[in-house]
Order: sequence, then C-alpha cells, then structure tokens
Amino acid sequence: MSKEQPRVTQELLHAITQHYYTEARMIQDRQYREWLDQMVARDIHYWMPIFETRLVRDKRPEPTPDDAAYYNDNYDDLKGRVERLYTGMVWMEDPPSRIRFMITNVEAFHTARSDEFETYANIFVVRNRRQMETYEHSLGREDVLRLTDGKFQVTKRKLIVDARVVQDKNLYFFI
Amino acid sequence: MINASTLVDLENATQSRRVFWDPEVHKRELDAIFGRCWLFLTHESLIPNSGDFVTGIMGTDKVIIARQKDGTVKAFLNSCTHRGNQICHADSGNAKAFVCNYHGWAYGTDGTLVNVPLESLCYKNNIDKSKLASPQVRVESYGGFLFGCHDPHAPDLKEYLGEFAWYLDSIWSEASGGMELLGPPSKSILSCNWKVPTENFIGDAYHVGWTHAAALKIVGGELAGMAGNQADMPYDDLGLQFTTRHGHGFGIIDNAAAAIHTDRTAYDKFFEETKGGVRLRLGAERERLYTGHWDSSIFPNCSFLYGTNIFKVWHPRGPGEIEVWTWTLVHKNMDIALKRQIQREALRTFGTAGTLESDDGENMSTCTHSNDGWATRKGRINSSMGINHEGPHPVYPGIVGSSFIGETSYRGFYRFWAEIMDAPDWAAIRKNDANWDKIWTNRTFWQNRAAAE
Repeated sequence: MSKEQPRVTQELLHAITQHYYTEARMIQDRQYREWLDQMVARDIHYWMPIFETRLVRDKRPEPTPDDAAYYNDNYDDLKGRVERLYTGMVWMEDPPSRIRFMITNVEAFHTARSDEFETYANIFVVRNRRQMETYEHSLGREDVLRLTDGKFQVTKRKLIVDARVVQDKNLYFFI
Repeated sequence: MINASTLVDLENATQSRRVFWDPEVHKRELDAIFGRCWLFLTHESLIPNSGDFVTGIMGTDKVIIARQKDGTVKAFLNSCTHRGNQICHADSGNAKAFVCNYHGWAYGTDGTLVNVPLESLCYKNNIDKSKLASPQVRVESYGGFLFGCHDPHAPDLKEYLGEFAWYLDSIWSEASGGMELLGPPSKSILSCNWKVPTENFIGDAYHVGWTHAAALKIVGGELAGMAGNQADMPYDDLGLQFTTRHGHGFGIIDNAAAAIHTDRTAYDKFFEETKGGVRLRLGAERERLYTGHWDSSIFPNCSFLYGTNIFKVWHPRGPGEIEVWTWTLVHKNMDIALKRQIQREALRTFGTAGTLESDDGENMSTCTHSNDGWATRKGRINSSMGINHEGPHPVYPGIVGSSFIGETSYRGFYRFWAEIMDAPDWAAIRKNDANWDKIWTNRTFWQNRAAAE
C-alpha cells in the first residue's frame, strides 16, 4: 500500500492541489474537451463503483472493476460521454445546470514510479438546475496522478459515492 | 372512492391527468395494485446458497428474501412483530438468523420467531412465539425471476403473467437458455410517479429518437438514424408492439438486440451461435423475439430492456416519487467475460450515470408534477398513436400493434390499470378473462394486412 510511501513535499502538494482546483474550475466552466485533452491520461481508468450496504461481519471483498459500477470507463468511453455534451441535443442540460466542487483533505504520496503520485481527497458536489432543484453529493476520491513535462494528468481515478441511494436525477458529471 | 373507469378513456385513448399526481388515486393503487399484484423481488442467482438473503421493497413494504435450507425461497416483512422495528438493514448477505436491533428478538431465515430475550424471566413464558412470526409473502419464480404477492386470492405467477409468459419463454425459459441478473442493484430517487417510467418502458419507442438524440448520435450504428427523427424509416416493417391480459406489454425492434452496444463482436457472435437452437426449440416466431430488442414492463412496476440488458423496478414513494433499482440482465449461458462486458455497457447507457438514462429523468419528473396545476389538471393526456392499427394476431397472443413506435401497450397498460383499480377482488377480474381485449374493435387488422400483402 503506497500510503506507506512517503508523503510528497509541501511544494509538490501545493502544485497538486492547485492542479485540482484548476481541473474543478475547468469542469465547472463546461470545458469538458479541454479537461479530457489536457488533464486525463490516455490510459485512464475512471471508476465509480456501486457499494452495497453490508453488515460488518460480511467478509465479501470490496467491488472490483469486474463488478457493477456507475463509471467503469477508459479514455474512449469518457470521450463518448464528453462528446455527447457537445451534440447540442442534450435537452436536460439546456438551459444548463450549474455545478460546484469543493475539494478538501488532499493528501499525496510517492509511489514506486518517480513520475506518479497517489492522492486522496474528499469532494463535495452541489448541482443546481432549473428553478429550485439542488442536489448534493459527498464523494471520496483516490487518484494516481502522473507528472509529464511539468503537467499532471490523472491515470487512475476511483470515486466513492457515499450515498447508497443516489438522490439526484443522474450522476452524469465529471470530477 | 376513486372511479378509475372515468380516469381512463379506452375509446379515445386518453387518461385524466390525475393518474400521475393525485394522492387519492395513489392510495387506491397501494390497495388495489401493490396489495394484489405480483411484484418483482430478486433473481434466484443472486441468492444461490442456503442462508443467502437480500432485502427488497414491495410497494411501501420492506421485505427480506432468503434462501432456505431446502433450497426454496421465502419472503417476509422486514419488520419485528414486537414493536415494528426494521429487522435487517443490510442490502444482502448470508445469515442464520435476523436479530432485531431494538430488543433482540431473533427470526429464522424463514421469518419464524425463534428467540425472545428474557422469555421466562420477564414474559413468564406467557408468549406464544409461533403466533409471532413475521408475516409471509407468497413467492413464486418464473425462469429464476422471483416475484412476491400479498394477496392469497391472486392467481399464481404463471397465470398472472398470462400470454406474456409465452413471450417471456423466448428469452427467460430453459428452451432459450434463460437469463439472470447481475447485481448489486444501483438505487436512486426520482421525483416522478411510478407509472411514468413504467409506461415509458412498456411501449415508448417514440421518445427514443428525440429524448435520446444526443446519445444515439454518439453510439452510432443502425439506431443513429433515429437521432432527432431525421431518417425516414419504414417503421411498420421494423418491429411490433404487444399488450396482454394483465397489462404486461412490450415493443420489439427486429434484429436489433445488440444495437445500443458499442463493442458488439462477442455479443453478435453469441446470438449467431444460440439463435438456431431457439428456432429449433421454440419456432421462428420466437427466434424473432429472441434476436429483437425489447422495451418492456411487467405490470405494475417492473421494466426491462432486453438486448440493452437493463432491468429496473420503480418502487413508489407516494404519488410523486420513486426509488429506482437497476440490475444488469444477461443470458445465463454467456461466458463470464461477455457478461462483464455487457454489464459495463448496460450501466454506461442505462445506469444512474448512463448516457441514455441521463436524458430521461426530467421528462419523468415534470410529466408527474406539471399535471398537478389547478388549470392543467382539468385536461387529459393522450396515448392514441397507432390506434386501430392493431388487433388479435394469427400467431402472437394478446393484442399486437403494427409498429414498435406506437402506443398499443400504453393502452393495454391503462386498460388493466383501470380494471384492477375498480375491481373489488381477483374474482371480479377473472370474470373479464374472456372479454378483456374487446376494446380493440379492429378485429381483422392483421388478416387485412396479410391479404393486402
């Protein structure tokens, strides 16, 4: 477990958190193509598993990418989701909703590879759409970030939705 | 008292706007429909071993569904007979007993009360545990799909499915290889009436080209022509629509089972390898069903897309809200790699974050709530598409509509909805068995069409 790897320096942690804020701002501004092109590695595994509510004594393993998931995407899958939003035919997002991401508790660790870092963060999402609709989601996020030519790209992303029953019309957002 | 026959106009194919939002209508639905119909519980493959259980919902009731030592499945209310506390809070697991958190009353996996703490010291042995079992639900399986029913007078599941079982046999039966569900289900809340998604799945291929235009454009393939309704397609030659005695129905697009999948090589190969056997065992008509894409609902609140591999239940939470449960529907005899690939694709399109699912939520929601306006509610809503282009068919049971884009199965759904809402009991419903389809007055539609060809 790479949490046993040393934490990154304060300077690197600062660079990573700034990267995350820029990424969130990009998505909030609906620059999905730019986000995918600049911030997502071509070998991405973008994964949001479905967790069951189980008893503590239940020793069955946690979900793997072979199990049911909200997102279980490679780069092309993500690209399809992004391009759908540019067809001009997504009626549910016209007028567009507003989304805001709060990213906290960012920790970053070295890994066996000198150019990759494992990070942990908590994310709070607020979506407002139409007149009165407000939806909130809290998520955990576990990334592998790769540093290439001075720029970070995410190559593995695991998103843990805390709610068992999703209280929103859909989970079609990126973060 | 609700008079549902005034809410549904069968001749003109309209419904009162009250059907979606009226609390009085919903109150009657809980008694007349959710209290009397077979409701989907789970699939046998999700609880294979003795002691395996899942928790489920039947209308407004929570239930526990558990595999017994003798291999049978029992279901009972998830509520302690002492003070009503919920007995089990896990989605699934394996248990020898269910112990209530409140005072520790313990139930066997069959719902019998097996232990009461301090029974001799404090109850002075003056408690009859045999009378305090959790109330049982009738459980029956069709092709491994388990349904539950509260009404002892309801017909058995096979009779309840009626002619629809003949259709289901082309995909769910042993003769067709059978199907199963992959879990765990995703769960989400949607502020809509339970009938809106049910009617949508039962026969609304009309919305596909418009609501899902964006996703169809990205998916490509033969359905891309439907995006934005831009292609001039010969709809009457591309599929059919069906409705049956108890409101179950579906639409089929011929040879399109795998159409929504992006990686189709293995899935197409599976159909190529298996369809001959289906033809041999069930005939050419049902091979056609086996290789087609289905949008379907089983009355009252269970829906699925065969081919797109999604299976959903719409649990009512009052007239204006539902809890959606979503599983992946796969053929049993697929290899595990194909099952997993299909699960990924199915959830990518019709999961909670799905590329098509994400188009539907708002339509479902505002159909429900817009109809509640003081002036709006006085009007009626319309499901007349394809009326009279339908009738009894020489081969297919029930009533068959000429196009998969039509509202034949809407009309059949609301016909039975009105019937069961007004019926005092199942005996009264049975009296209509011989005449249920007489509202379809064009009795020779299919003979005339065959003669014209």
